[in-house]
Amino acid sequence: MIAQTAPASTPTGPPRAPVSKPRRRKPSLYRTLSRVLIMLIVIVQVYPLAWLFLTSLRTEQDFATGDPFALPGSLTWENYARAFETGDLGRNILNSFIVTMGANVLIVLFGMMAAYAIQVLGFRFSRFVRGLFLVGIIVPVQIALVPLFIDYSTVNLLDTYQSMIIPLAGFALPMSIYLFSSFFEYIPRETYEAASLDGAGPYRIFGLITLPLSLNTVVTVVLVNSIFIWNDFIFANTFVLSEELKTIPLGLQNYIGAMGKVDWTATFAAVCVTITPLLLVFLVLNKAMIQGLESGATKG
Amino acid sequence: MLPNRSRTSVLVFLLPPLLLYCAAVLFPILQSLFLSFFSWNGISDMEFVGLANYVRMLTADDIFWRSFFNALLYLAICLVLQLGGALVVASLLTSLRRGRELIKTLYLLPAVISTVAIAFLFVRIYSIDPVGLLNQLLHWVGLGSMERAWLSDVNTVLAAVSAPEGWRFTGLYMLIIYAALIAVPKELEEAAVLDGASKWTLFTKIRFPYIRPVWITTTIMATTYGLRGFDIPYLMTNGGPGQSSELLTTYMYKTAFTSTDFGYASTISVFIVIECLVAVGLILFMLKRKADS
Repeated sequence: MIAQTAPASTPTGPPRAPVSKPRRRKPSLYRTLSRVLIMLIVIVQVYPLAWLFLTSLRTEQDFATGDPFALPGSLTWENYARAFETGDLGRNILNSFIVTMGANVLIVLFGMMAAYAIQVLGFRFSRFVRGLFLVGIIVPVQIALVPLFIDYSTVNLLDTYQSMIIPLAGFALPMSIYLFSSFFEYIPRETYEAASLDGAGPYRIFGLITLPLSLNTVVTVVLVNSIFIWNDFIFANTFVLSEELKTIPLGLQNYIGAMGKVDWTATFAAVCVTITPLLLVFLVLNKAMIQGLESGATKG
Repeated sequence: MLPNRSRTSVLVFLLPPLLLYCAAVLFPILQSLFLSFFSWNGISDMEFVGLANYVRMLTADDIFWRSFFNALLYLAICLVLQLGGALVVASLLTSLRRGRELIKTLYLLPAVISTVAIAFLFVRIYSIDPVGLLNQLLHWVGLGSMERAWLSDVNTVLAAVSAPEGWRFTGLYMLIIYAALIAVPKELEEAAVLDGASKWTLFTKIRFPYIRPVWITTTIMATTYGLRGFDIPYLMTNGGPGQSSELLTTYMYKTAFTSTDFGYASTISVFIVIECLVAVGLILFMLKRKADS
């Protein structure tokens, strides 16, 4: 009874029943501490983003002089209006959308086809080909920049959507092949054998069995890759020069004016506009996305 | 193998992906290797120089070595933030009863945001005029003497450009490690607790050894991504001031597209690939030895 009634935290009370106290106290202290720690880390992780949004609603004056942690004195949407005037946000978003879609179609279709050939059809050098695809996971994308720049300029592909889509899809292909083939392993042999007995060839089996069954994996692959493609900076920055083709990451740079002077509140408004689509998709589908990211790594 | 597959069907399924992959990945790797033996500015004739680029890089290029050591420090900071942070949060999260999903989602948010946006954000966080979040915070906790322009100070700039990269992906690695941690069999943990194991012993003797395979994957991922880090330093400081935040990747990029020295840039990128391969090899080797002992 004593151990229960003596509150663990009264500093003035004499230390009674020291034997039984630690047992009751330790787990709850540990739990409180770990909760506080988690909250702190989450704040560090999320606060900058909240701050980004709040700043986009500040007036320029408030931003230049005010305490950065303070809530905005007055809210204004004017920064958003200016953001749309300064840059070509609509166009940037459309371009990012086209590139993301284009690359995803290639990644899903080709990833599925290659995994089908390697895992289901099987052929003599399948292990070698699988290893060849693995190279793309380890090799950093930077190695492709100079050669692709040269190749694109000889075949006139610089400054096109393809110049971004091809390397983005190429470097994402290994992971997608990997995810698809580890899924194909779970499709029972008997399904294929039964279909074969009914006279279905490899093409019909692909279209009528493998493809419909892998829809979940398709969602995973698309979600995970979309994050990286939507945000790609390096390929877009290297291969695209004209204003009409700029994707979001490049478009955002337009807000840096002459002499590196930046219209910060308008920039933050633009940033908020451009991260919203992906953020919405992420928040709506975060279960599937989280599962995808987890399975991408843990299966290795 | 399917019973009635044919050679053509294999080719039909395999060739298109293989062609794309060769065009975008394999062929450029070989091309880089080839270019690294030449001196070429993209306009005049290519000149074969043998190993001269490599000799120049390893013996006569101070900026290269500076960038190399910067890249190692950049990697170290990213690894501590990403792997250390991820492990701590993932372990803490397993003891939480409610709100795990929410915290996972919140924690992953920065990974969804583009590097350009992150670079903008952190330029403001570090700024001194108008005062940014970091300097204001230091001021409040009484460390006003530490306030500075983090990105123009030669001593702090490298750490300042590394932190955002670490910050950005902690959530991703946390997810992976968390998924592994909750797969540790409860019976094992309970048995250890009955034997009087402390939280720490429980972690070092049961949980961590159990998730070792995933830990290796995560370490390799984080290392190779750290070594190829580019966007954030490039956007925030472009390697400056001086060369104090220059990484191998930013140096390579500038050599290629500012100085248009394609041959030498290819030499550096070949080095980056070798560096990644060596790093992966080292990690596997060290972790294997530790597991054996």
